[in-house]
Amino acid sequence: MENLKWRKSDISYEKQIHFSKRDYSFQSENAGEFITKSLANAYWFFISDVDGDNCPFRPTCSAFLLQSAKETNIFQASLMFFDRFTRDMNIAKGHDHYPRVSAGYYYDPPQNYTLNQGRIKYLPPAFIVDDE
Amino acid sequence: MRNFLTIIFLIPLTVHPQSSSFDFHSPENVKKFADHLFCEEDYLRAIEQYELINQKMDNDTIKFKVMLGYSELGFFSESNDFFRGINDKSIFYPDAYLLSFKNQLISEPGLIIAPSIISFNAFQMKSFCKLINISMLYEDKFNISKENFIAPFDAEELNSVSTFYDYKVEPPYKSPALAGLLSAVIPGSGKMYVGEWGDGITALVVTSLFAFLAYDNFHADHTTRAWIFTGLGAFFYAGNIYGSVASAQIFNARIDFDFNNGLELFLKQQNYFLPDYDFCE
Amino acid sequence: MIKVLEICYKGIRFSSHKNHFQFCLPYTFIPLYLYTLLLIFSSSAELHSQTEIEKQFNYAKKLYDEEKYFDAVTEFKRLLFFYDGDIYSYESNLLTGLSYKNGAKFSEAIQHFTLAGLNSKNIDEIFIARLEIIKVNILRRTTGRALALLDSLQNDSKFTGKADEINYWRGWTYIFSDDWEKASSSFSNIQSDHRLALLCDSVANDLYNPTLAKTLSILPGAGQFYTGEYVSGIISIGWNVLWGYLTISAFMEDRVFDGLMVGSLLWWRFYSGNIQNAEKFAIEKNLEKTNSALRYLQNDYNGKMP
Repeated sequence: MENLKWRKSDISYEKQIHFSKRDYSFQSENAGEFITKSLANAYWFFISDVDGDNCPFRPTCSAFLLQSAKETNIFQASLMFFDRFTRDMNIAKGHDHYPRVSAGYYYDPPQNYTLNQGRIKYLPPAFIVDDE
Repeated sequence: MRNFLTIIFLIPLTVHPQSSSFDFHSPENVKKFADHLFCEEDYLRAIEQYELINQKMDNDTIKFKVMLGYSELGFFSESNDFFRGINDKSIFYPDAYLLSFKNQLISEPGLIIAPSIISFNAFQMKSFCKLINISMLYEDKFNISKENFIAPFDAEELNSVSTFYDYKVEPPYKSPALAGLLSAVIPGSGKMYVGEWGDGITALVVTSLFAFLAYDNFHADHTTRAWIFTGLGAFFYAGNIYGSVASAQIFNARIDFDFNNGLELFLKQQNYFLPDYDFCE
Repeated sequence: MIKVLEICYKGIRFSSHKNHFQFCLPYTFIPLYLYTLLLIFSSSAELHSQTEIEKQFNYAKKLYDEEKYFDAVTEFKRLLFFYDGDIYSYESNLLTGLSYKNGAKFSEAIQHFTLAGLNSKNIDEIFIARLEIIKVNILRRTTGRALALLDSLQNDSKFTGKADEINYWRGWTYIFSDDWEKASSSFSNIQSDHRLALLCDSVANDLYNPTLAKTLSILPGAGQFYTGEYVSGIISIGWNVLWGYLTISAFMEDRVFDGLMVGSLLWWRFYSGNIQNAEKFAIEKNLEKTNSALRYLQNDYNGKMP
């Protein structure tokens, strides 16, 4: 009973931040991953951070590629990436299809596209995802 | 002098028993307060007060209200733990028994395997049968005839229950293999088959565009450019086949999700076939 | 009758006279002053036992002081359930509201502050209750509501003497709605060099103007330089120059299609990106600055806080 009761809460005056920061860190297990991460970092630094917010999805297409490569293999990841890019080019996307993140972007994680039915976590459209 | 003082002394003594020796924490008063809290839907507080007096007042209503309160708050395992303390001769035992199934269905959806009890009245027996049948929907193995499945339900529930039965026996899945095959023949058609018209048309347009650009550049002898467009086009084509298979799988996941969601909503509306207990006037 | 109560010096005495028993209080040995003390003591004890209600209130208040807010609310609710007088209603409701507020349960807090206001016995108590509602609105950032409530307090003739306090809380409301200039002017209405007015002024002057950042970015890189992001600005300038040069040279050489492709897919992308970036940096940096001011206020300021 004691641990079910609510307690004094630490109310912070600060405003919550909704910007997602790029993860430039290296968590590579081999040379291949290190190279891919370096390429990705370079892409982010020189191009993506400067050409504005063009991706309506979270994770972004480049992050999607990296996460897919980590979860499957580079070949499958590139197929997933091209499919994601096609879906990005669909001008009528989103309407009644993807759930959202709190900042308003569409939530589209790679785990739904690994061809492993058991890993798919379906969320209805307009559902707001908490993390990210 | 002393006579005078003593009379003054005696007056308050006669008046004294009338002033408040009100005990806020006597069992009766704690119960009154707890009942009030329960009616205000301040369940956690009500439970805390009831648990203070539970040992002193061996009261069936209190025990059932505590179990009900935990269930309303969403603490289903605590609610079922409390159920173990309810005597099976108690007048609330059948209701508590049914409530334990509700708790079970919400916290760990699955088949209910439990006997009925003799103290069920007609309404409770019906609720019990409804719950057992509904719980079958959560199992992978499902072999019961439709007549037997819908038998315990009332007229206004029949529609929904029949739909759940049909969905369970024959879910309207789409075939991922077929989606992939269709997209191999006509890029984008697999996605359209799954219902993703926008994505399908985009895929068709993009692959056609790259095919055209490749052909056009080969024709104009711009070989490097042509090979680049061929390569990209091939990747878009293969990616689309892959994506069509994936989107069929996501479609099937959505069928399952909608089914579970719809079932949960239906059960909430029917309050899991339990009566509405009204302990407050 | 009086004979039966007749006080005497000796013990029980049977009087054959008229067949009366006489009972005597054997206090022969108690001197008068001690007797008076006993009298005073017993009557004060009688006054003491009348305050079960007061005991319950003090118990609840002790729980509140020990920050056991859930239990404090329980005990105040217990008091209010059984007690229908009005000596303790205002304070009980007020402390219940404060307990809820400290547990971040803002709607329950407002409910109880409203009840406190209805049970208040004088103008000051009404004012305190209404102020608490305003403070909760500030904390949960429903600042529009807070401002409306402050305005209605200001327009109420009962509270004309409280203008300074109203302005003080109006300042806080503006702080929480991120309008540091209006906050500063509210505080200056109390006192032109009010400490918080000076703080808000310095924050307001320190902030970047996002619109200005966007406008400056018409010249690529300028907006980013304004917000202090020099590296990003240089990269932006580089890309814009490159694609701009390629687009224009394509048009000059009559390669219209190529020019259009490079111009729209590449140059436009990096140009609008630079505008977007400048605005984003301005907003991000402003947020850091305002958050650090809010941190200071929460931790190091020792005036009254919401």
